[in-house]
Amino acid sequence: PAAPAALRSLPPPVAVGVLHATRPLHTTQQHLAPLPPLPEKGGEVRHGLIPEEFFQFLYPKTGVTGPYMLGTGLLLYFLSKEIYVVNHETVAAACILSVIIYGVKKYGASVAAFADKLNEEKVANALAMKNAAIKDLETAIEEEKKEQWRLEGRSYLFDAKRNNIAMLLETNYRERLMMVYNEVKKRLDYQVAMQALRRQKEQDHMIHWVEKNVVQSITPQQQKESIAKCILDLKALSKSAQAAV
Amino acid sequence: MNLSFFDQFTSPCLLGVPLILLSTLFPALLIPSPNNRWITNRLTTLQLWAFHLITKQLMSPLNKKGHKWAIILTSLMVFLLMINLLGLLPYTFTPTTQLSMNMALAFPLWLATLLTGLRNQPSISLGHLLPEGTPTPLIPALILIETTSLLIRPLALGVRLTANLTAGHLLIQLISTATTALLHITPMVSALTMMILLLLTILEVAVAMIQAYVFVLLLSLYLQENI
Repeated sequence: PAAPAALRSLPPPVAVGVLHATRPLHTTQQHLAPLPPLPEKGGEVRHGLIPEEFFQFLYPKTGVTGPYMLGTGLLLYFLSKEIYVVNHETVAAACILSVIIYGVKKYGASVAAFADKLNEEKVANALAMKNAAIKDLETAIEEEKKEQWRLEGRSYLFDAKRNNIAMLLETNYRERLMMVYNEVKKRLDYQVAMQALRRQKEQDHMIHWVEKNVVQSITPQQQKESIAKCILDLKALSKSAQAAV
Repeated sequence: MNLSFFDQFTSPCLLGVPLILLSTLFPALLIPSPNNRWITNRLTTLQLWAFHLITKQLMSPLNKKGHKWAIILTSLMVFLLMINLLGLLPYTFTPTTQLSMNMALAFPLWLATLLTGLRNQPSISLGHLLPEGTPTPLIPALILIETTSLLIRPLALGVRLTANLTAGHLLIQLISTATTALLHITPMVSALTMMILLLLTILEVAVAMIQAYVFVLLLSLYLQENI
């Protein structure tokens, strides 16, 4: 339930957003991203140890040689007052420091390059993934455009298909028509052949019957007469033929 | 200040306040913890690469159950490496020269591997006491020898590290004392001794790294047998 009107009219309490030590906490939303970028290079150092800011700090008062004079003076002070005693550790220190400085000078650049290469590979991998994804999407866009273009030719495709089918149907129809014609012709030829055959048979039968009857009707008397006539004819002919030879 | 040879091995104290804990924990300050950046600076990149290398190297021979030991073995390796290398600087105290510290590291870790083996696979662990293919008459003697070798492992681990580092540091002290003493008498011999010291320093750097690696490697080997 909302606070009663009397309380709402009061100004908000001081403790809102303010710790009692007057340090405001959580007054805005959390900033998760983007984080501010890291500086590209580390702080400038001179001689690998002393920050450049120290030299800049002393420059206005003591010039360029100031810090070096300070260092030399301090060193000589420590040595002469035996605040720093030269003992065997000094020699050991010289050795280990020379080893360290030699190592850093010789391998420093290559180690830095190696570290940079590791980071470089990480970034390159991520970039490669991103580029591959972009390329895949671009290919998909190309494919989609091609599909859309294919869509435009869809009507021609269907027309061609339709024509194809119509031609097939027509061919089929013509074939069947031809078949019907052939079948009907075969039937009619059959009938015609039947009639011709019957006629032929009747004719043959009639000729045969006529011949048979004629042969039967030739009596022996007739036969003699015809043979005698033939001989007389032949004799007559031979008389006339002798001349032709 | 005038130092004797053994002042570098005394536990550091400042106005009666023992600083041993500080000197043991200090190297951890030199290893930056990676922040939640994706591309880190050079130091963090190299450090991550080195830790990945160490962990992969130590954990590949182990089976999956042994990977539970990854954190402790890798952090032990880095700890010993840093302490050993920092101890080569002048006027520093190296905690690993103290036998108490090395035994405190070696004994519980070795005992942990032993008990893990005896608890989970007792016959296999005890079976390691007899190498394969020994002739039968030798078996009793060999078991005794292997048991002794097993029980001496923590001692060996601790003493190896202590002795190597202590001997190295002492040698550096002695030879540098010789160099300093000879400087006024025969500078040439002193220069020669300095050369020897230089080579010894390089050796000590190598020994520091190798000893740390050997300690952790042996522990991982003992773990391999038992897990």
